[in-house]
Amino acid sequence: MATAVTPSVTRGDGQWLPSTCGMCLHGCGIQVYVEDGVALKIEGDPTNPDNLGKLCPKGNAGLSRLYDPARVLKPLKRTNPVKRAGVDPGWVEIEWDEAMDIVARELGKIRKDDPRKLLVAIGDFQRILFWGWPAVFGSPNFFTSLGNYCGGSYHPVNGSVDGSFAAINDYERCNYWIQIGSGDGFSSHLHVSGSSKRMADARMRGMKLVVLDPRLSTAAAKADEWIPIVPGTDRAFVLGMAHVLVHELDRYDREFLRQRTNAPYLVGEDGFFVRDEKGRVLVWNERENHSGAWDEVPADCVALLGSFEINGKKVRTGFQVWKDILATHTPEAMSQVCTVPAEAIRRIAREFVDAARIGSTIELEGKTYPFRPAALNYYRGSQSHSNGLFDNMTYKLFNMLVGNIDVPGGHLGVPLDTRGFFVSPGESGQLKPEPHQLHPAPPFKYPPDSTHLMEWFPIGFDAGQLNTETILSPERFGLKYQPEAMMLYHSNPIWNMPETDKVEEIMRRMKFVVAIDIHLTESTQWADIFLPDRTYLESTLLNCLEPPVVTGHSVRQPVVEPLGDTRDAYEILTDLAQRMGFLDNWNDLLNIVCGFAFNTRYLLEPSKRYSVEEIYDRFAHSIYGDDKGLEWFKKQGHTYRPRTAKEAFEPYGNLRIPFYFEFIKQTGAELEKQLKAHGVNDWPLENYLPLPFWKPSQVIEDGKKGYDLYAITFKDVIHTFGDTVVMTWLTEVSEKDPIHQGILINSKTAKKLGVETGEKIRLVSPGGRIEGRAQVVEGIHPQVVGISNSITREYVTNDKVNYKGSHFNRLLTGSLRYTDGATGGLESTARVRLEKVSY
Amino acid sequence: MPEIDLTALGEARKMVGFSQKKIELSGHTVAELLRAIGTLDGENLYEKLVCQGKLRGDYAVLVNGLSVKPDQLDMEVKQGDQVVTMAILRHLHGG
Repeated sequence: MATAVTPSVTRGDGQWLPSTCGMCLHGCGIQVYVEDGVALKIEGDPTNPDNLGKLCPKGNAGLSRLYDPARVLKPLKRTNPVKRAGVDPGWVEIEWDEAMDIVARELGKIRKDDPRKLLVAIGDFQRILFWGWPAVFGSPNFFTSLGNYCGGSYHPVNGSVDGSFAAINDYERCNYWIQIGSGDGFSSHLHVSGSSKRMADARMRGMKLVVLDPRLSTAAAKADEWIPIVPGTDRAFVLGMAHVLVHELDRYDREFLRQRTNAPYLVGEDGFFVRDEKGRVLVWNERENHSGAWDEVPADCVALLGSFEINGKKVRTGFQVWKDILATHTPEAMSQVCTVPAEAIRRIAREFVDAARIGSTIELEGKTYPFRPAALNYYRGSQSHSNGLFDNMTYKLFNMLVGNIDVPGGHLGVPLDTRGFFVSPGESGQLKPEPHQLHPAPPFKYPPDSTHLMEWFPIGFDAGQLNTETILSPERFGLKYQPEAMMLYHSNPIWNMPETDKVEEIMRRMKFVVAIDIHLTESTQWADIFLPDRTYLESTLLNCLEPPVVTGHSVRQPVVEPLGDTRDAYEILTDLAQRMGFLDNWNDLLNIVCGFAFNTRYLLEPSKRYSVEEIYDRFAHSIYGDDKGLEWFKKQGHTYRPRTAKEAFEPYGNLRIPFYFEFIKQTGAELEKQLKAHGVNDWPLENYLPLPFWKPSQVIEDGKKGYDLYAITFKDVIHTFGDTVVMTWLTEVSEKDPIHQGILINSKTAKKLGVETGEKIRLVSPGGRIEGRAQVVEGIHPQVVGISNSITREYVTNDKVNYKGSHFNRLLTGSLRYTDGATGGLESTARVRLEKVSY
Repeated sequence: MPEIDLTALGEARKMVGFSQKKIELSGHTVAELLRAIGTLDGENLYEKLVCQGKLRGDYAVLVNGLSVKPDQLDMEVKQGDQVVTMAILRHLHGG
């Protein structure tokens, strides 16, 4: 359990208050020094087990958000009816009552007419409990304008494999770490402050780190080996390595595949499992040479490999099917795709399987586990592509080849929250896939209710980018209505989404836009009413201490009196629910998402209005009992315990995890039937396949049309999303770093094109164009140009922050052609041609 | 007859017209409890929440905080049990 915060520094008569950082979604423990009501310093909380007292630059710079002179501190009303990018909205300050009257009146009209006409763009991951507000309003149309960029394909595959939300290698025990397109342990993703320490410790004890990235990222710079790669071809590299393990070295964890996965299940020529009359999936008994139900053939007789015949029909094991697919994925063939030399693919594969120590075990807390200290970790850059499902499946399968899924040393699932892995029995001894971690799969519907077509993504996530396509071409999707109002809840879709012009067009069409945020942004410029929220240093929350290391909660508390005339977002949303007559639904939703339904002692009454403090006090008590309420957390900061080995490892128990993703094929077949029944014949169904292979994406095709370079965006630990790019302290740092000063281009490519540092250049993609200054560097693949998110904001209200204006997302296309048809994942790479700009 | 504390949330509350109520139950199972709770349109919760003998996927029933599995409607309920019926939220997504 936690101990009281021990400040590292004490000054004057002030006090250190424990709280939780809100500068990104991960919520590191902090302590804030406050004197005379003024917050003077933020440090990492050394007692917090997630960030281990560390704090990234964003967290250290939190005061510049709190005291940013450009913050909005009173509700604003637009007086200029003309809405266009760059047009002054003519803001005037108004009182809260007037602002809330206007919002409740306008949204109330929408709700009475057709609640689906409200489109809500949501950010603010830490307050995910409030994301259901649009649902109780009655609209299915809400989307995070951030998540589709990163996890659209990632989360469904994690959920399907082991009921996790994310994944990370075992920092404590891994000895060979391949990192692809991710900043884990260095600059981004899961708990970067604490993970940087864990990664450093791992490297100090001798762990080898191999990083694949088109750019010399922080991780690549620190790695034992950096392998530059063409964006979107990481899968080809890994498929080449899988070929080496399966076809050349014949080294993989047969027992894991045979006993812990469905790899031995028999597959018919139609691609579906072969079942007996009772519906049980069959396996092959290789000792007696016949088939049998999966639970009737003795484990040591089950064939992992092979082609057989049942009733005159050919069948193969799932593993054999992938082995046959891999036959053509030789290192030489994959090298042609990804540009990594075939010998490097072979060498890394060999090193990896050597390090995995297949067959070894380790004893933890009295139980013997497989020990596999080699793992491949990956995130946004490696799989946020239009075939992202195949990317994610490939990386999981490669890890499965050495049997490292959720075992010490290996690749560990990270559950969504303190509830742990979502594990339950599925069909024929398999784990039930849980591609939707945040909500049940939306049932198919035609015409669809949602403008991002969630009803047509049964295993997909949140294809927010499709809003532009559906709203601008509703007839194509059978949409019978058009959104007329928009709520921007800590969301900046014009900055976050691809095809900026189209996002602006749908915002132009809205009759009413309300924004809840801290700053004015590219998107809130289009609002009619702006409602100022409080920063994380002025508001209240209980934040989940993120697994897999520990389980627990930390408090976010007001460390100073709120500035200006602002309100906590919870109070704003609750007030609006009450004014529009659905406070009862809102309280019911909180009863469910806060878990009060599971502990009825803390249930909210339907018609009573509760304060944010009351909500989190109940939340704390409902989890931790009578003696730990909000006041306890405000004093102690957090409570936690390490996750036990039983909680962290082999969460699937005796259930088999999917190696052969038959359920994806089944889901696609069912969706096809439903769509065709309604005359929809052009929906992209081709990715609903049970196994991954190399399939070129649209960006590869674009390369044949004269777009010879790849454009990528990246962020450093200094920034997160777009919010921090307007913060003076952070931009002062990033503006001094050459990688954040212009469009990165490799020196050889620059020489070939006659481009020099500082020269103004234009990038043209199939989706748009941007201009910026060239920054010639060595550390980027010769076929790639890189654009830091530090130089992308186009609307900045703080006059101390320089205009940057090279907005990467203008190069992207958000249409279905650039979306994974199964997961909704967005293609985050663009093909471009470079033009010199003449004066 | 066991007395059960029943809470209805969200859509389930709208169906039955109340939020919390003590129910005197003549039977002893979740199925019997659901049948004993009338809905405003003259049916009962069993007819609303159960399809082909299984709890519908978009609704949940909790007995003392534990979810009743779709095919466990014969689970016993007894005096003082806290039972919650609620819709499972459809539209929570993120990344």
